[in-house]
Amino acid sequence: MAVAQAETIDLRDTGLSDAELFERIPQDTAAVEKITAPRYSYWHSVFRVFFRKKTNILILAAFAFIIVFTYVYPAVMGYDRYGNIMDSTAKHLTPWAAIEKFGFSIRWIFGTGASGQSTFDAMWYGARISLSLALLCTLINFTIGIVVGAIWGFSKRVDVFMNEVRNVVSNVPGTLIISVWVLVFSPSFSTLLFAMCVTGWIGIAYSLRTQVIIIRDREYNLASKCLGSSTVRIAVKNILPFMISFIVTIMATQIPAYIASEAFLSYIGLGISDTTLGKILYNAQSAMVTPGWGWEFWCPVMLSAFISVVLFLIGQNLGDAADPRTHM
Amino acid sequence: MVKYFFKRFFRGCISVVIAIALIMLMVFSWLDPTLIFAEDEQYTKLSNNQKTLYTYQKWEEYDYLDYVPYTDWLNAKTASGEITEEERAAVAAIGRTADADNAEVARYVAEFTAEYEAQGYTVVRLDAVMATPTRIATGGSQTLFAFQNTPLLVRMLNFFTGILDFDNIHYVQEDIGERGLTFTLHDPAYGGEKFAPAIMGNGTLHKYLLYVDGSFPYIHQNFVKIRLGTSYSVNKGVDAFDTMVMPQGNYVRSTTYYPTGVVEESADDLHSATYLAGSRELNMVYQGLYTDDYTNVDLVKDSGSRVAYSFIVSIIASALAYIVGLPLGILMAKRKDTWVDSLGNAYVVIIMAVPGLAYTLMLKAIGNKLGLPTTFSLDNPTTLMYIMPILSSAIGAIAGEMKWMRRYMVDQMNSDYVKFARSEGLSEREIFTKHIFKNAAIPIVHGIPGAITGALSGAIILEQVYLIPGVGGLLVQAIGAYDNAVIVGVALFYGVLFIISAILGDILMAVMDPRISYTSKAR
Repeated sequence: MAVAQAETIDLRDTGLSDAELFERIPQDTAAVEKITAPRYSYWHSVFRVFFRKKTNILILAAFAFIIVFTYVYPAVMGYDRYGNIMDSTAKHLTPWAAIEKFGFSIRWIFGTGASGQSTFDAMWYGARISLSLALLCTLINFTIGIVVGAIWGFSKRVDVFMNEVRNVVSNVPGTLIISVWVLVFSPSFSTLLFAMCVTGWIGIAYSLRTQVIIIRDREYNLASKCLGSSTVRIAVKNILPFMISFIVTIMATQIPAYIASEAFLSYIGLGISDTTLGKILYNAQSAMVTPGWGWEFWCPVMLSAFISVVLFLIGQNLGDAADPRTHM
Repeated sequence: MVKYFFKRFFRGCISVVIAIALIMLMVFSWLDPTLIFAEDEQYTKLSNNQKTLYTYQKWEEYDYLDYVPYTDWLNAKTASGEITEEERAAVAAIGRTADADNAEVARYVAEFTAEYEAQGYTVVRLDAVMATPTRIATGGSQTLFAFQNTPLLVRMLNFFTGILDFDNIHYVQEDIGERGLTFTLHDPAYGGEKFAPAIMGNGTLHKYLLYVDGSFPYIHQNFVKIRLGTSYSVNKGVDAFDTMVMPQGNYVRSTTYYPTGVVEESADDLHSATYLAGSRELNMVYQGLYTDDYTNVDLVKDSGSRVAYSFIVSIIASALAYIVGLPLGILMAKRKDTWVDSLGNAYVVIIMAVPGLAYTLMLKAIGNKLGLPTTFSLDNPTTLMYIMPILSSAIGAIAGEMKWMRRYMVDQMNSDYVKFARSEGLSEREIFTKHIFKNAAIPIVHGIPGAITGALSGAIILEQVYLIPGVGGLLVQAIGAYDNAVIVGVALFYGVLFIISAILGDILMAVMDPRISYTSKAR
């Protein structure tokens, strides 16, 4: 070091002009953005925080179990509702009686229903449609809700218009809209899906709009705006990450709500004609109070509760983990 | 502030009108109109042309279309003196087919067709349905009529202008003698001795326009009535609003003083008498009881109306939710991060995640095991039958109150003014009751009216499970029977309730918190 200092060269001695000595290099936009900080990856941190809680692994396992039984099990085993309809001794059996009659198989562990069908098969078959409906509904409502909510929060003109739309929709109970819709059109899967989505996204868009309004005028966004970021960039890069935790949390309450509303619609006789969890409840209502027939009613009830709780917990915990403030 | 709320109410009404218009569009334009006959026994009994005629008659009655049979047209012509009675009788019977008409009939049929087609009507001629070459099948006689669908906009206009029905002395079209209102201090329905002021009318639809009786709200009026459309199948011929507010259950007989002076033990409610043209002449019983054609009376029943049942259950359930939920929420906030908090959170999570139908059914089963009545019975009502529905409704609402109360309390606990109060040396008790609770209660109070209406609309499920004769059950029944007028009526009822509750919530919040003002001037 000392040697180097002694050998300092005076640039004037070289006899070269400034142009020869210096070269103007272009500004490296990527390097400007780089801040020297510990390496931080958002999604990496999300999963790190998520898996830090050991119960989450248990919940995920339960979720995997549900997915396998709702989507793989009925496809592999098949489900024939009227397979045993001619056999009068096969109806309304308790698990023990069913196993005794048909021999042990996973099919019979919850007994049989009114037409001799396996309760276990029926409830997973029903869960497949109920869960698909809930997930599709979530996908559609949240896609529309997020896009509309972002625009709603940013544009004052859209705000005025959308507030009026929301006033109209929120003044009528959602159940009423859905039931009238299902009444008017044929009670099929797509009708029910459409009915649940036709106004369902407004609530999501509205709560998102409120969050966007809270965050959009924060100082860091003002600073970003001063530095020349476009509105789209602010929305996608600055605000959306803040929203993820919020979105996942409301998703956690919405998925069970969709499952519940399908069950409710089927229970009052407005559901789709196919077998769903709600439809099973509707068909097995009389079995609820009949001694010995309870299995065919309570198993689907328990399953819908179980699926809802698992999805709710995953959503809640993922929502917590998605909040950057928990990443410390 | 009054002006602000008036404006809010007005805007709310506009949005309800739009929503109702959308629902009307759906049920009246997109729904197959023959579906309204789904529960109609008479419809299934009829056959051939008679069935078609019946559908058109009913559609006219329920405002779907304007329907003019050929015979009515001829009668109108006779009444106006254009044709004589003999001419009418000669051409009234049309042939079995168009070719079978004689020349005179064919001329009138052509005139009828031309007249109505010019007005945009569709003229339909149904030929006779023959069982054998010479015998006409049951209900198969030939017929001729014209109809025109009522445009949806006209329908909506009729609906909204008809909601408030003002009674007046020119209501009755027939000759009824001297029209006018009379005021009496001694209501004849009580025998004419007792002091009971009443206003009675002649020429009005209702006989009694103002009267007093022993039931809430003690003074009743019939000047203005709310009409939401006549029910087709749920409560045939009765208005949807009346279906919601009329008492149900068993008849109650009491000493009734009829206008002729007859005194009888009867369930007739003379105060509800409405005009029914010619009814006295046709009915021997009425001749002995009444002195005029105001003979159409409701019957006194002992149980509450649908609205009453729905409100009783939802108000008590909401009150219970606040009474139980708030202290638990406060406890959770105070013992934050202890087992109390975790237990409370677990409860909230379970209630939020498990479908309402599932835990309602479980509670019903538990109630059944405990020997409590799990279905409503109007024949022998007991207070016990309220327990399970109220509990089922409250159990979900309690979780909601706990969750929010805890949230608000925790938010307040972390705020700077609380730290300041603590540093000033205030006791924890003082901080909680005087500062934190006061502030946390504001949003809770805001939610009270919303909680009650929420419980009301959520009661659809409850009323279905426990068979409560309430408004929610009526909606489900109406949807099941395709009773469109009732669907629209109930939707309007819920819509208006929602606006009122939102405004009430804001008023309550402003009362609780003097900092809140809804007018920009006061700020």
